[in-house]
Amino acid sequence: MSFVKNAFLFIIQLVFIWAIYACSKYAVETFHIPIPSSVLGMVILYVMLVCKIIQVKFIEKGAAFLNKHLGFFFVPIAVGLMNYGGLIKTNGWQLLLMIAGSTIIGLAISAAATQYLTKKERNPTGGEKTNHGQSHSA
Amino acid sequence: MDSLTLLSIFITITVYIGAIKLAKHVPSPFTTPILTATIVIIAILSSLHISYKQYATAKDWMTFLLGPATVALALPMYKNQSIIRERLKPAVLGLAIGTIATMTSAVWLSKALGLSDTIQAASAVKAVTTPVAIEAAALIGGDPALAAAFVITAGIFGAVLGPILLTCMKITDPFSRGLSIGTVSHGIGTSQIMTEGPVQGAVSSLAMGFAAIITSILLPWIYPLIQF
Repeated sequence: MSFVKNAFLFIIQLVFIWAIYACSKYAVETFHIPIPSSVLGMVILYVMLVCKIIQVKFIEKGAAFLNKHLGFFFVPIAVGLMNYGGLIKTNGWQLLLMIAGSTIIGLAISAAATQYLTKKERNPTGGEKTNHGQSHSA
Repeated sequence: MDSLTLLSIFITITVYIGAIKLAKHVPSPFTTPILTATIVIIAILSSLHISYKQYATAKDWMTFLLGPATVALALPMYKNQSIIRERLKPAVLGLAIGTIATMTSAVWLSKALGLSDTIQAASAVKAVTTPVAIEAAALIGGDPALAAAFVITAGIFGAVLGPILLTCMKITDPFSRGLSIGTVSHGIGTSQIMTEGPVQGAVSSLAMGFAAIITSILLPWIYPLIQF
């Protein structure tokens, strides 16, 4: 019985998360909000959790499942690159160089800036290094 | 649902499960599931003469949960809210600087490599999540479909090589690692950096959301300024 009950709760959680997404989509389209519906939905769910409108356990199983399989949902979209065979043949190297180069530049600058600004904020005089937040990685 | 759609879904799920198993047995950036699965699925579809148009119905079924899955990123953000709050200021500054840097460098590199104006405009939006990229590209005269293709490629590139590049640059702080991946490689990068740890996943989700918002607001202003 507990399996049936858990499966039922899991589906309810997924439906709830989907409903938040559906409402955000409606709001974005109706009020022409210039951010993507999924990002708005993420903000709404976050606020609901922080303000204790809903408890974590109410969405935890469904959300953890979606988090775990997030990568899967991008695969069918990435398969769409098969439409660009022609462009890849004519401009492939230039495109790869442009995408790789600017991604690396953005990556390096945002990471270095964040690391530097955090250190500066914590130690304006530049003293010892703090180790806060370094212990969470798996 | 017709048999072609069922077959396409079956192929996609089977290949993806295989790709995850491969990544577990042979851990390497080049076995990142989204990369290997995409290549194998394209190869199978091509050999079966299934076009992307025919695959589209299957795609719609399988991506039905993409929006809700992005919403669900609120969970890691909530669980790591104390660290996010504590470092919100450097985080927002860092990702704003990173977003401008990646936009500008994409346009300048496109110019330097002699790519067309349409490609330049599409390249400017490649760091952000697809729905924003499509709309932002159209605003500055880029091709939305092309922009979506760049978004996917930038996402896969960041997911595959981002973590290694960060390690080479001696960025060891999990917070900064998550932030930069989310800034340049949106959801695809987030899905990958999440496997490194919960802080990375939470901060990457936050960065992805903010980068989308910053891009949609700043791009129409910045794009004319970076022309030469």
